[in-house]
Amino acid sequence: NEAAVSKGLCRVLAGLADADTIFALSSGHGRCGVAVVRISGSAAATALRCMVGLGNQLPPPRTALLRSITDPHSKEVLDRGLVLWFPAPHSFTGEDSVEFHIHGGPAVITAVLQALGSVPGMRPADAGEFTRRAFHAGKLDLTEVEGLGDLIHAETEAQRRQALRQMSGELGRLYQDWSHRLKRTLAHVEAFIDFSEDELIEEGVLDQVDISVCDLQAEIEQHLKDERRGERLRSGVHVVIAGATNAGKSSLLNTLCQRPAAIVSPIAGTTRDVVESALDIGGFPVLLSDTAGLRDSPDLVEQEGVRRARERYREGANQNNFLTIQLISVQFKSTQPERNSMLVKQDSRCLLVLNKTDLLPEAHREELNLELRRVSGLPPVCLISCQTNEGLKDFLTVCGDPLSGAPTLTQARHRAHLQQCVAALAQYRQYRDSDLALAAEGVRLALTSLGRITGRVGAEEILDIIFKDFCIGK
Amino acid sequence: MAASVKSICVRCMSHMLTKKLPPVQSVLFLVSRRASQLSRQRYDVIVVGGGHAGTEAAAAAARIGAETLLVTQKIQTIGALSCNPSLGGIGKGHLVREVDALDGLCGRAGDWAGIHFSVLNRSKGPAVWGPRAQLDRQRYREFIQAELLSTPRLKVLEGSVEELLVSDPNPAEPGRHRVAGIRLANGSQLISASSVVLTTGTFLSGSLFVGQTLSPGGRMGDAPSSSGLTQTLRDRLGLRVGRLRTGTPPRLLKDSVDLSLAKLHPPDRQPTPFSFMNTHTRCKPAEQLPCYLTYTTPGVERVVRESLHLNCHIQQDAKGPRYCPSIESRVLRFPGRSHQVWLEPEGLTSDLLYPQGLSMTMPPDVQLRLIREIPPLHRAEIHTPGYGVQYDYVCPTQLSPALQVKNTQGLFLAGQINGTTGYEEAAAQGLWAGVNAARRALSQPPAALSRTESYIGVLVDDLVSRGVTEPYRMFTSRAEFRTSLRPDNADLRLTMKGFELGCVSAVRHHEAVRVRCSLQNAIAALQALTMSSTSWKKKLPGISMSENKNQALSGMDLLQYKDVSFEMLASVFPESLASYMEFSQRLKIEAVYKPHCDQNKSEIKRIQSEENMSLPQDIDYFTLSVSLSQEVREILDRFRPTTLGAATRLEGMTPAAIANLFKYVVLTRRQESMMSGKQADNEEERGEEPCKRNASLPQ
Repeated sequence: NEAAVSKGLCRVLAGLADADTIFALSSGHGRCGVAVVRISGSAAATALRCMVGLGNQLPPPRTALLRSITDPHSKEVLDRGLVLWFPAPHSFTGEDSVEFHIHGGPAVITAVLQALGSVPGMRPADAGEFTRRAFHAGKLDLTEVEGLGDLIHAETEAQRRQALRQMSGELGRLYQDWSHRLKRTLAHVEAFIDFSEDELIEEGVLDQVDISVCDLQAEIEQHLKDERRGERLRSGVHVVIAGATNAGKSSLLNTLCQRPAAIVSPIAGTTRDVVESALDIGGFPVLLSDTAGLRDSPDLVEQEGVRRARERYREGANQNNFLTIQLISVQFKSTQPERNSMLVKQDSRCLLVLNKTDLLPEAHREELNLELRRVSGLPPVCLISCQTNEGLKDFLTVCGDPLSGAPTLTQARHRAHLQQCVAALAQYRQYRDSDLALAAEGVRLALTSLGRITGRVGAEEILDIIFKDFCIGK
Repeated sequence: MAASVKSICVRCMSHMLTKKLPPVQSVLFLVSRRASQLSRQRYDVIVVGGGHAGTEAAAAAARIGAETLLVTQKIQTIGALSCNPSLGGIGKGHLVREVDALDGLCGRAGDWAGIHFSVLNRSKGPAVWGPRAQLDRQRYREFIQAELLSTPRLKVLEGSVEELLVSDPNPAEPGRHRVAGIRLANGSQLISASSVVLTTGTFLSGSLFVGQTLSPGGRMGDAPSSSGLTQTLRDRLGLRVGRLRTGTPPRLLKDSVDLSLAKLHPPDRQPTPFSFMNTHTRCKPAEQLPCYLTYTTPGVERVVRESLHLNCHIQQDAKGPRYCPSIESRVLRFPGRSHQVWLEPEGLTSDLLYPQGLSMTMPPDVQLRLIREIPPLHRAEIHTPGYGVQYDYVCPTQLSPALQVKNTQGLFLAGQINGTTGYEEAAAQGLWAGVNAARRALSQPPAALSRTESYIGVLVDDLVSRGVTEPYRMFTSRAEFRTSLRPDNADLRLTMKGFELGCVSAVRHHEAVRVRCSLQNAIAALQALTMSSTSWKKKLPGISMSENKNQALSGMDLLQYKDVSFEMLASVFPESLASYMEFSQRLKIEAVYKPHCDQNKSEIKRIQSEENMSLPQDIDYFTLSVSLSQEVREILDRFRPTTLGAATRLEGMTPAAIANLFKYVVLTRRQESMMSGKQADNEEERGEEPCKRNASLPQ
């Protein structure tokens, strides 16, 4: 019996070769020297050919080659790295597989993942999917299966946390809204299919569906276009240090650069122009800008500096890859204008940094900490001293956190699912007049794709909407 | 379909409609009315109940080869349509086609008894077409009774079952009990059997409601079933039961209804048979009867509200369906609207009308007041008042996918007892339970039917892995692979499989093989006809083809165009295509759906491979030494999924939990194979496979 089962399983699995081709970052998240991106499935060879410029040739199996990895559409070089080709069945999953060993910066990884997502027939892997395929192919030994649960748990946990961060934001609200509308749209198509012959389901329902599908498709397409801005991340995140004069903005710049890039003096208004410096924080290329402190000054040069500083803030307000560090000297903590400005900036792309903690006695520091905890709605806060480097390590962690959790890392994943969603909605419109079952299939697929971001939707949930919205009598 | 149907007819083998139905009276002597007349006291399979589930179960068990006994209270009511006089519809029609593909009764009975045929959703795509018919109650009963009474190996006994005989389990199989047979009421006679199928419908602790009166029973006019059966299930076997309710409308005297005030709803001009074996229906196209459509008025809502205090059923909280609700719950849930009421014929010669949508439970005098608020019914007379039924059902998560009670070897349940509603749902379960009951009795392994290959599979999987909270009805929206599970291809999906299982006759199998071969050859011929789009345009000047370069297109590609029919292609290439004309509609559908079905294939394969991994039924999930959260353990314990696939679909399961279950299954399997000493070497070898290590690490 056992033999029969495994024989049956093998037969089934042999057919799995024509399943979707999946890809994922396999080397774990966070900063690392080398990152491994793995691809598995029948389209792996296609992906390899179109991203590595091999013509119709495939590299010799299981041999590392140094190659430029390019975007299949724009032909832009994304990175230079090692490429390995594992033809089936001699691979981890038993399917055709490809590995890219690329530089470990999140920007490079994101770029490669996005490029893979744009190859037809490819989609980001679900949690543990490689291992699952390997398991199906009988390629896993017991110890590997042993750790599988923990691995998937850790992975989904990380994804969940990341998703949560995004889902509570504007992007999350957007996705949820789409998902909600798509569910309702599907419920109405399904109601029309299952009940319109006998029940009072107005013909108008379908017109409403047409409009929703059209709107959703247009909105998601627009979003996909806009999101290209995120790709600028590859050329760097802009971080602007803002704050009152003499808060220590230039000192912070110098501390971060580990060199005296800007002139520092105890005189308020020393910095009069925007001073820029390129850095690497948490694996991300960062362009750090020091600005003039905001104050009314009779000095014409300083006035110009303040104007430029304000312009820089305004530029950043509309961009994803822009982070403001609001720097405040703890000495001024009680002055009214500072309190106001620190409460205004409740943006997730803002960090609040309190400088000059070395000037505070221990007791006051405690008091300050307590007070910060009491005030709600603050952006992430750190206490540092550019003089003694106290708190700098915490600062870098906090600073790196909103960057590494930024939409960009999961962006490639979302992008691929959203593209599939749009394509599926097009299927609805293609079949709307000739075959409603196939048209509805398009809406189902669209919801499945979106559901990979916002959570799976079952048939029961759709039926619930149907029975809430329509009186089904027969 | 009509065109294809003709030519089958020519070479037609046996078929029911040309065969003369034996008069029921003449075969009744074959029936044992008293148990003492039974030729034997031991059967392979005993089926309790003669409704849609019971008749299909008994017939299927006998077809498989089991000596089968059907026990029912009244032989007269075998095959009775207790509620609506119709069969099929959207989703339900799919089930009828599948039951027919497995050689069940209801499709052929529908073709025999139908008096108004229509394919619903005709404008919406073949995957969701819903073959449906209004039935003549008399003819339906006739057909089912004649068919059962002439089935070899099947005996029918009139009687009431007092209790189930339960004994110790066979230690080699999972389960705490084993069913050994039944005890009949009056005379306390015992009949033993390897398998028992219970299809008691609404009779399990059934109560009938009209106004404020309540009486025990499962159907008006029939005796209540014995309370012993409920006791066995609940107390002896410890099964969890719940309570559901349903209802039926009053029957009206046709002559008292002013049909000129209702909208005429004609049948299809050319009836489409349910059965793959039939080329035409018994009722001739012109003999069909129409239905009528009318609407409720504000007066209906007023009467409902005024009489609420007199209406016990609507005040109770036992769960009623959201989709076949009484007129009371419809107007209460969606007030201020007018609701549809269909006036349906009950038979060719019947003088009654069935008002679909007017199920009600108020006192009879109020029912009369209510219906007279509807214009065509302003002088209508009620023949039989409507009433409500409340009944026990056994929570179906306690069943295996073979519809066997997990803790009781040999006990199978089908139909409303599992929390479903509808004739078609009952028939589908009955057939499946009958097949498995017989296979068990004949020491064959249980048969499996996946949700990826059939609506029956969807139905069974939904029931046993998710349970019900209201009467379960089939909708096409429940089927994930709707584009593959079409009414037109039920024979290709199920008939060969059914033949292997033993429930399909050689005649039907032969026909299905012929159809499959012809379709395959026709598709190959179409694919062989490949030429440039320009050449196609020359051949078929009328069609609007997108100007796509000089792309090579096959006949299959071309058939995907909306305005290209198989007939058109056959007229251009008669030598290669004309012989397939009888399949023109099926070929058109295949061509349009093929790309979409191909897309589904990988997902289907994944699900099927997970469904092949069974989880032992006796696991104690609370003590299982596998890393699972308490929440997940509770879910697993409550639903006891039989396969990994079923576990994956449970709400609240996490990917990590699934992975750990995977691991568990693999471990157990390996341990088993180590114990039996087989395959261990193979496994070792596989673990050492050289390519795997350097390939890469698990993600």
